[in-house]
Amino acid sequence: MSDYKDTIIDHYKNPRNFGTLDDADVSMDESNASCGDMIRIQVKFSGWIPGQARNDKNEPGLPRHSVPRNDEKVIMEMKWQGVGCAISTASASMLSEKVVGMSKDDLEKFGEAGIVDLLGGEINPGRMKCATLAYRALLKIFDSND
Amino acid sequence: MFDVEEIRKDFPILKRKIHGHDLVFLDSGATSQKPESVIKAMDDFYRNTNANIHRGVYELSVESTRLVDEARGKVAEFIGARNEEIIFTRNASESLNLVMYSWGKDNVKVGDAVLVSKLEHHSNLVPWQELCRETGAELRIIDVDAEGKLKISGAEEQSFEESGLNVKLGSFDKLVDEKVKLFAVTGASNVLGTLPDVTGMIKTIKSKSPEVTVLVDASQMVPHMKVDVKTLGADFVAFSGHKMMGPTGTGVLWGKKEILSKMRPFLFGGDMIGEVKITGSTWADLPSRFEAGTPDIAGIIGLGEAVDYLEKLGMDDVRQHEKELIKYALEKMSVLEKEGLVVIYGPRDVEDRGGALAFNVVGVHPHDAAQILDNFGIAVRSGQHCAAPLVTGFGVPAMVRATFYVYNTKAEIDYLIEKIREVPKVFA
Repeated sequence: MSDYKDTIIDHYKNPRNFGTLDDADVSMDESNASCGDMIRIQVKFSGWIPGQARNDKNEPGLPRHSVPRNDEKVIMEMKWQGVGCAISTASASMLSEKVVGMSKDDLEKFGEAGIVDLLGGEINPGRMKCATLAYRALLKIFDSND
Repeated sequence: MFDVEEIRKDFPILKRKIHGHDLVFLDSGATSQKPESVIKAMDDFYRNTNANIHRGVYELSVESTRLVDEARGKVAEFIGARNEEIIFTRNASESLNLVMYSWGKDNVKVGDAVLVSKLEHHSNLVPWQELCRETGAELRIIDVDAEGKLKISGAEEQSFEESGLNVKLGSFDKLVDEKVKLFAVTGASNVLGTLPDVTGMIKTIKSKSPEVTVLVDASQMVPHMKVDVKTLGADFVAFSGHKMMGPTGTGVLWGKKEILSKMRPFLFGGDMIGEVKITGSTWADLPSRFEAGTPDIAGIIGLGEAVDYLEKLGMDDVRQHEKELIKYALEKMSVLEKEGLVVIYGPRDVEDRGGALAFNVVGVHPHDAAQILDNFGIAVRSGQHCAAPLVTGFGVPAMVRATFYVYNTKAEIDYLIEKIREVPKVFA
């Protein structure tokens, strides 16, 4: 079973960072319409200026600069939930460990090729949508909440 | 009855090896394999006859035109229709959209209702959602029971409203009244194999509401059983050519001449016009009015050849063969079900169903199951099968589906069963 390496089975059976983040900065849902797979990813960004109140909505009276610029955001923590196949589950689980410390730039550089590498270097082209489900959600997360 | 082993020799692809195993092709519900005669007819056309139709007086164009006309005649005879009632399209989806644009927009308005079923393929659901949203008409959906059969009577009615679309879900008897202008229903479910009593429902609805127009999505019907539009009672029948051994890029819309001839075209351009002036144009007669532009000439010729192939087998025997296969498959799968290895969806009585078998391997996502089966050379589909409301209604995100056709054997089903047992072991 070339696509089902031991690491994939391990992450599938014991998914890492599965759950919810109470103080998430962004939550993002992503699905594969044709196969019914769904994922919700929550992340906490670093890049906040320590000791200052957060002001995501730019409310008057609070300092605006407490919201980090998009290119400064770095993922501090990621949690995820969802239903999916072994490939999408393992990919989300592996990414949840890999993306800590990554900026949008880092994630884009890591790319789909990086995911294929994480999964053992070989993914059936028909399963790339499964493999990249969590990745696509993460890219959207960086683009939201600007 | 035909000899399956002989038939298999007609399909070159069945000689292929997949990951070192013999190909076991169980996805004919998505598209069927093509016999040598169909492939050869198209090859011959390009080598010896290729020219555009209808526009030339030279020999090749005359021959091309004749071949397309002959193919139209074969398809018409195959379903008991008149030649001019056969519109060639790219696929069943295009046929259904043609009805929506050319008939629906002129005949469905606010206060009316369109009736469909929960068994529909997205291609016979989404166009009507859009039409109802645009016109303010109500979309009514016949619900299915736990076996995946249509609820004919007695079900509680539910109403939904979202972004301007009003939907009612319930049983057939409660949803039928004089407001229903269109009844668009599948003749056979592409997921569960369910064969609704289409003829019976059409009789009921036409007696209650004589003005109703009936459209049957026969994509999973025409390739698998005898369909005669004269006895079916429908006004439109849509199906694809590529699911009945024809090439991809071919589909058919049949419509009653008196209805088609009142409809406006929905694609404009070459070949579909009568007279063209700079100030306006008139439309060609049937069927050209609905066939704008150069059609898939080679494909249509291939489809005609596919009809010949099916006629030679005999549609009653085709149905009988598939009935035996699905009966056998259900028996074998029931054993796995009793062992707690699989869950089977759809009707259990072979009289109520066609050759589609939907299931899940317990604890294994359908994509994983399908990929593991592929490693053994078995081609099955996994996902929502373009019928998301139906599939998710069973409380699962997706299903595995095996579909059978004339070239499938009981030995292939044995092999499928044997390999389904291997699937959970990968994750053990």
